[in-house]
Amino acid sequence: MLLYEDSLSINSLADNFDMSRPAVSKHIKILYNAGFISIRDIGRERYCTLKKDGFEELQAWISHFDKFWASKLKKLETLLSSKLSN
Amino acid sequence: MTKVIKHQFFFPHPTEMVWEYLTKPELMEQWLMKNDFQPILGLDFQFRTNPIPSLDFDGIFYCKVLEIVPFKKLSYSWKSGSGEGEITLDSVVVWKLQPTDKGTELFLEHSGFAKKENLDFHNGLSHGWLEKFDKLAALLNTVQHAGTNP
Repeated sequence: MLLYEDSLSINSLADNFDMSRPAVSKHIKILYNAGFISIRDIGRERYCTLKKDGFEELQAWISHFDKFWASKLKKLETLLSSKLSN
Repeated sequence: MTKVIKHQFFFPHPTEMVWEYLTKPELMEQWLMKNDFQPILGLDFQFRTNPIPSLDFDGIFYCKVLEIVPFKKLSYSWKSGSGEGEITLDSVVVWKLQPTDKGTELFLEHSGFAKKENLDFHNGLSHGWLEKFDKLAALLNTVQHAGTNP
């Protein structure tokens, strides 16, 4: 939520949590590896940004393919059924 | 950020027949899309359909045969982009067939969804997927890095 509108340095993010900085770093690493945030080095600080667009675009693809395969497989079923009755 | 799409379908047909519809380009075209697939491990092939502008998709799925176990399993990579070979979506399609008393159970798994950010071996270079793969192979063979730093 903190990253929804702005990018923040890891240090300033850590100030918002009752956790040690290494603990915050660990959480950030997990989010980064999962593709939810991007990290950029500016000067001595590392800045985190939420990757909203990527997430939404991927979801759009996944929901597209879900329907795509359902309809393609239906088509295959119809095709194979017509073979059976011949 | 991963999700798996799973579909399961039963066909009252022999496994060999269902397999043909998954591996013969002229039969695949009848229910799936135009393609130049051949059941050869490592083969690069394409599916072609209509572009979808809202998904930044140019109408071509770039695929590579990853695994073939005749009549049992077929897997290929499934990538797409907005054009000129630039890849923005990466995923994998896996088909599994299981013979039953009355026909064939077909399992589809479409997974490994990843966005371009995760794919860029070299930032700023917009080589086609095929070249990227060759490049990756070359990178794995030698530590030499031909790219230029930004």
